[in-house]
Amino acid sequence: MPLAIETIELTKDYSVGFWRQRSRRALDRLSLQMEAGEVFGFLGPNGAGKTTTLKLLLQLVFPTSGEARILGRPPGDLSAKRRLGYLPENPYFYDYLTAEELLTYFGGLLGLRAADRRQRVSKLLDEVGIGSERHLQLRKFSKGMLQRVGIAQALLNEPDLVILDEPMSGLDPLGRRDVRALILRLRDRGCSVFFSSHVLSDAEALCSRVAILSKGRLVASGRLSDMLAFSVRGWELVVADVRDDVLAAIATRVSRAVPLGGGRFELEVPMATPPEKLLADLTATGARLVSLNPIRETLEDFFIERVKQPS
Amino acid sequence: MRTLGWIAINGFRESVRDKVLYSLVAFAILLMGTSYVLGQLTAGQDLKIMKDLGLSSIAIFGLFMAVFIGIGLVSKEVERRSIYGLLAKPVRRHEILLGKFAGLALTLTVNIAVMTLALYAVLAYVGWGENQFARQAREVPALDPALLKAVALILVQLMMVTAIALFFSTFSTPILSAGLTFGVYIAGYFSQDLRNFDQVVNSRAAQVLARGLYYVLPNLSPFDVTSQVVHGLPVTARYMAVTIAYGVVYIAMLLIAGATIFSRRDFK
Amino acid sequence: MTVRSRLPVMYAVFAVVVLGAMSVGLQMFRDARYPLTTSQEETLYLTQRATGRMVFTHRSLVSDLYWIRAIQYFGEHTQRAQRLAATFLPPPPALSADPPVAFDLLYPLLDITTTLDPRFNIAYRFGAIFLSEGYPHGPGRPDQAVALLQKGLTTSPDKWQYWQDIGFVYYWNEHDYSKAAAAFARGADIAGAPWWLRSLAASTLAKGGDRAASRLLWQQLGETANNEYARNAARLKLQQFDAIEIIERLQKAIDAFQARRGAPVRSWNDLIAGRVIPGVPLDPAGVPYELPSPSRVAISPRSPLFPLPLEPAARTGA
Repeated sequence: MPLAIETIELTKDYSVGFWRQRSRRALDRLSLQMEAGEVFGFLGPNGAGKTTTLKLLLQLVFPTSGEARILGRPPGDLSAKRRLGYLPENPYFYDYLTAEELLTYFGGLLGLRAADRRQRVSKLLDEVGIGSERHLQLRKFSKGMLQRVGIAQALLNEPDLVILDEPMSGLDPLGRRDVRALILRLRDRGCSVFFSSHVLSDAEALCSRVAILSKGRLVASGRLSDMLAFSVRGWELVVADVRDDVLAAIATRVSRAVPLGGGRFELEVPMATPPEKLLADLTATGARLVSLNPIRETLEDFFIERVKQPS
Repeated sequence: MRTLGWIAINGFRESVRDKVLYSLVAFAILLMGTSYVLGQLTAGQDLKIMKDLGLSSIAIFGLFMAVFIGIGLVSKEVERRSIYGLLAKPVRRHEILLGKFAGLALTLTVNIAVMTLALYAVLAYVGWGENQFARQAREVPALDPALLKAVALILVQLMMVTAIALFFSTFSTPILSAGLTFGVYIAGYFSQDLRNFDQVVNSRAAQVLARGLYYVLPNLSPFDVTSQVVHGLPVTARYMAVTIAYGVVYIAMLLIAGATIFSRRDFK
Repeated sequence: MTVRSRLPVMYAVFAVVVLGAMSVGLQMFRDARYPLTTSQEETLYLTQRATGRMVFTHRSLVSDLYWIRAIQYFGEHTQRAQRLAATFLPPPPALSADPPVAFDLLYPLLDITTTLDPRFNIAYRFGAIFLSEGYPHGPGRPDQAVALLQKGLTTSPDKWQYWQDIGFVYYWNEHDYSKAAAAFARGADIAGAPWWLRSLAASTLAKGGDRAASRLLWQQLGETANNEYARNAARLKLQQFDAIEIIERLQKAIDAFQARRGAPVRSWNDLIAGRVIPGVPLDPAGVPYELPSPSRVAISPRSPLFPLPLEPAARTGA
């Protein structure tokens, strides 16, 4: 199976300044690989070079050096673009067109025949939840609705690879849930999904592979499961009906005790202390167990640690 | 080829939904109606001034349309980032540029056709009221089909201006593009003077430079045949063919240059 | 912080109407107190050479605008001149060195018009007629008229009408019959010229100042010109010819009457009583003739036909 996306030492310098041609390196020798059929998260703080990478892949800008391949073809290749769907960040399309007209236009550019086009446009608009608004001009659309139109136009050609740039930005929780469900649906269909984001919890939930970019450099990449040891750092124990003297007694064995009100406490138990023993001691005093959960290292911890490292 | 058609139709649709354009065309038609009143002041030359004003209105309003839409064609897409969505589709960059040009050419043709109809309507109104003797006394008929020749040449000239505006907009900001386009337009009318530079100035270098500039700048005054048409002088088919051929060649040159620049550009 | 209440729309409309009326009233008041200063100077806006250089496009249209200006200039100045002429007693000479109303800008305006549109037929012909017209009907500059027509001929050498007009100016205003005949002949040489141009050349040469030939010229102009002004000028001239002939006949009758009566005729009543004429004679414009001095009939200074043109035959004494 060919790689969905591959970059080899991809570099982009921008020349800054009118007379003095200084150059700013936006992307420094990026090498990454994305397998077909997986969900790949492209992460990094703002200004890290994520958008630059996407632009290089779509041939919106030209590389200073290095190579890129998208669905096995060089960027800008028309046959690759035919199997590709792209959702830009903060999408703006033509505000004098209606949603339906926009999709019909893009369908025409994709080479869809009239009947096929009409059917797909209608189906996709239903899928993303745009009903009668499809006859309104896009300038009347809210941000969330524009995002949905953007998703619709990205899926118009039933692509093998979908590239999403900050797909959750500006969406309410309902919208984000929908997008998340969509990405999973696409994966189940066998579509490769490449998305860039700075919302790590989404990446954690969806991706099988991630790459982390910082200041134009790749600081980590690989399978999520490999990167995070998924080691348990400790436990979170929530108990009720704890008497004050009991609390004082166990104070040394927990790292933190947060009162939740009404006699409940959230106790953070370090690795060293076996939680079963602590729990037994507490219940013996009359306390009740509410919940017990492991605390794992998160992607956010990993991210902050890597990004903070001096490059 | 089909993608070019889609882009052109979309460009046309954008202009049809643009209210500013309607105001321009409406204003031009109003001006033609006014020329009827003005004609009463001209001691029997009412047809002349109506035709002069009509053709001049078409030329001026067409010029504004060509420049202001032309400079925005590319820069609006880039500025608003709609180019990202567009380029993700299987279209080539030069197809985008050519499609935009075709769309504007279509817009211009339609708008100018509307204004020409209005002109003929006003002329018909004047001609309708005349008796047989007055009609015979006129050197040139009121509803003169030769006016269409003048309009055709104006249209080709406007497409040249569009190509110039489009060319500048591939690499510079809208305001600068507008200034440069107007500058080249005016220079194009003065280019006849450049040709006769050698009779005015003695320096050989200046003469060579002037000659060079004359050939490079668009030579726009041959496209203005208002005087001939209004006075009933013939505009031969060969003149039309040669002039239009020059226009087509010049447009092609600019489009190729513009497409090349557009294809190599980074969209930040 | 006060809470603003929403003004009903009607109050706003009322306020706007009242303020509008106030502004109109103020303007009227101001205009009555402080009359608008109009520039008494008239300008060309641009010199002739500059206009030709600066207007690089839409030349035809700008030429039309200058044409309109030329007409209005001519109209205003002739009206003013004629009004002043009627109040003078005796009237100033036709070509005075410093006429009360100057026509300085007429030629430059026509020059610019024809520079911007060298084929503007009417501008050349109109210019010819009225540049050559004597004061107060025009500036009385036949030299400028001929210059303008010559300019037209450099662009359109096939316009025999311009040669006809040049001949006309020489005949009527300069009274130079050899030059007039030469011009008619040059015009007749051009292909497409009408037959009568050559016969006009011949008869001009032969008779030089014949009233019949003059009438023919004016009649031709009245019939071929396709604009009001030229036709009116021709009609005026023909009426003046009629007036001259009527005056001659009246004069003959008066002389005969005086010879019979032995006393000079002082008023029309004498003639009416003597049954020479049925009533007070009116000129073709409907204004009564006058007897400014005993036994001499002349056209009234208040008539639009005044002053009658002096006939070439009368001046040369032929």
